[in-house]
Amino acid sequence: MKRMIIFCMLFFCSTMVLTETSPRRAKYRQILRKIEELESMVKEKDAELLYTPENFVDGCENTTVTCFKKGILKLQPARSQDTPKFTKAIRIVSRFTAKDKQCNATPPCESYEKKTPKNFLKGFENLIQMLFKN
Amino acid sequence: VYVPTSGLIPQCLLLAGVECELYNEEYMTCMWGSREMPTVNYSLFYWLLLLPKPRCKRYLQDQGVRVGCYFEQNELIQFQSFHVLINASVGGKTLEIPSKRMLLQDLVKPAAPVNLTIRNMSNNQLQLTWASPYPNDQCLEHAVKYKSNKDTSWTELSVNGDVFSLPSVDYEKSYTFYVRSKINKFCGSTLFWSEWSLPVFWGSNSTSKGTVEEQLYWFGIRTVLVPIASCLLLLVLVILLVRMERVWVILMPRIPNPSKNFDELFITHNGNFQEWAGVPKDVVESFKPNYSENICYVTELPPKDSHEPLWDSSNHAPPPMPGPPAAPNEHSPYWNSYGRV
Repeated sequence: MKRMIIFCMLFFCSTMVLTETSPRRAKYRQILRKIEELESMVKEKDAELLYTPENFVDGCENTTVTCFKKGILKLQPARSQDTPKFTKAIRIVSRFTAKDKQCNATPPCESYEKKTPKNFLKGFENLIQMLFKN
Repeated sequence: VYVPTSGLIPQCLLLAGVECELYNEEYMTCMWGSREMPTVNYSLFYWLLLLPKPRCKRYLQDQGVRVGCYFEQNELIQFQSFHVLINASVGGKTLEIPSKRMLLQDLVKPAAPVNLTIRNMSNNQLQLTWASPYPNDQCLEHAVKYKSNKDTSWTELSVNGDVFSLPSVDYEKSYTFYVRSKINKFCGSTLFWSEWSLPVFWGSNSTSKGTVEEQLYWFGIRTVLVPIASCLLLLVLVILLVRMERVWVILMPRIPNPSKNFDELFITHNGNFQEWAGVPKDVVESFKPNYSENICYVTELPPKDSHEPLWDSSNHAPPPMPGPPAAPNEHSPYWNSYGRV
């Protein structure tokens, strides 16, 4: 009887695990949706240019994410009525972290090219897409 | 062969641009020209950032002119800046035409879906499934286009997974389905859809060619054979009916002739109903009239103003009553008025 119960529990847990999608990918999907929202609301005119990493170094994903997160905090919404939604999206994205597999040397954030807010967000989108795909 | 001056070449190429497509992440082609391009010697250099600048190893040609470059999978890295430089050399002069920075993950064109399969579900529902040669299913979004044989236009719908359900189908119609794929926003910002897949058919007529012939066949059966068969059946039944008197008598009984009951009336009493009925003689006598009455002829009294002679009108007006015209009778009240005018 005991063995039966344990077996049933294990079977149940294994089926749950199989049907569940990867939580990592779900997180990346969420971040990509938030970046898309920010792109639609962000102020472009007279906005500060931000260091935008590109040609991401393998193994240093989290370091690159940190550069993007620094820039995210400087973004502003184009319309004041979008502020609550904008702030909420910024908060969610700021909490996002990735893993550095093996990071030897990364260029500092300031070494990258400065770009407009929308292009900066597109750069961030590229990074998350790379993480999602791999 | 048109050989332009060097000033025109950069304008031509800048307008045309370099178009690269990464097919199913297996190989890439970058095209910069066509037959209309000036026939000069083109060379392509490409580089990913921080790497040296190799030349194109395999050119694509159109009538001897290089119009594109073919890249193997191992020459490409996604999520890294990719640059292309075209050198156009004519008459000893070389012009460099750079391209924009490209991100290869945004240039992926997946292969068309394959193995389209239709399943009949309950409640008249159809389920379409397919497979994709592209390795990463999570990166794909799909579009399904379908039409029935009675529709005039295609219906196109987006699908996120790799299953499409058509809620209600008409079993009288036949349907055709196509599917195509695209890299979704989670793996790239692409614009290219794949080619449409090979079609899959479902319905009462699996081939469109057989439709008209089959319809004619069934039409012929319904409108010609069925009436003939039913007429023949009717004829057989009528013949049987006529031949089988027992059945005939039940269905069409003889109209009874009551004249036998009235033999006495017609033969014995010679049609005298009263005699046959037994009416008493004095009752019969009482119905006979025992007085005579003269027939009274009535004519219209002419007006006083009339100049016509009375006798003319009297001569011309024979009474319509049967019997001889009565002679003017002094006892008749009408005679007085007749004679007075």
